[in-house]
Amino acid sequence: MMRNRVSIFAAAAFAFLALTSLGRADTISYADAVTTLAKECEADIKKFCNGENLGNGRIQACLEKNASKVSPTCTSTLGSVMTSIAQRQQAQASVFKVCQHDISQYCNGVKGDGNILSCLVETKRVDNRACNQAITDAGWR
Amino acid sequence: MTEDRGNKMIVHGLRITLALGLLLAPCIASAQQLDNGQIMSTLGQVKSAAPAVDVALLVEEANANVGKGVAALPNWSKLSELSQLIVEIDFENNSTAIEPKSYRTVGLIADALHHPDLFRYKFLIVGHSSSTGSAKHNLELSQKRADAINEALSTTFAVSPDRLFSVGAGEEWPIDPGHPESADNRRVQLINLGLLK
Repeated sequence: MMRNRVSIFAAAAFAFLALTSLGRADTISYADAVTTLAKECEADIKKFCNGENLGNGRIQACLEKNASKVSPTCTSTLGSVMTSIAQRQQAQASVFKVCQHDISQYCNGVKGDGNILSCLVETKRVDNRACNQAITDAGWR
Repeated sequence: MTEDRGNKMIVHGLRITLALGLLLAPCIASAQQLDNGQIMSTLGQVKSAAPAVDVALLVEEANANVGKGVAALPNWSKLSELSQLIVEIDFENNSTAIEPKSYRTVGLIADALHHPDLFRYKFLIVGHSSSTGSAKHNLELSQKRADAINEALSTTFAVSPDRLFSVGAGEEWPIDPGHPESADNRRVQLINLGLLK
């Protein structure tokens, strides 16, 4: 009984930590993501996916199709790389929404996405944590 | 042998060159590692008087002038006036499959095109080959390779497809005209075509 409780507590604590660290995890650039993919999967790509291209999910599909033969490191890398690409895309898509309030408050009248971003980054008064985090996650600092 | 036997579009390391009109820009860099900052500063500079380029006309001109060169053709000659850089992206031999070691370069381009500073612009990917193999085959293969880069950017990296164009130049515009067979001529040009209308 005691043991069960401990393990439930441990599981809950683990889940909490995992969730919060996921929420906070820094995203990585597209370049770094696919560099990892190339590093861990190059041998398997050469062996099983000759002639397949990066675009349209074909390398991913090929590695998944050959999962029984592909190295475990490559398989797990593929999953994490695809996740980090998706996280970066999501972060980039969210910045202008998350920062909407700060934009209207501090960068009112600034025209152009690039200029608005520069304004947000340069404006010390932007103290909205979510906005700052979104800019960081988008890789736009 | 009709194939472009090399598996690279450029072998001369990662280089950035600027269009003639931009020679005074502070970001001239050569023979060094490509990074995001360099792509951004090079491609972000757009002259207000930059000519409009019709990609369909580029394809038409190249196909009508196989073996005769494209640099002097009316539409191709406009490209020299645009903000651009040259990158190395390697392909499998006689294939459109990008080598894993070049995934990073495609990723770097994706990072740059997703930055708000470049949101408003559309880009042209130009694939070049050396003169090894037949001119017609080289033109076709370089078009397909440029298309493969376009596809990777617009699918895997979700760059909006309406911002991306691709065209092959084959062996028609060597960077080293004195040595058309040189592997240096295999390269990819990334050109800022100006504002997305």
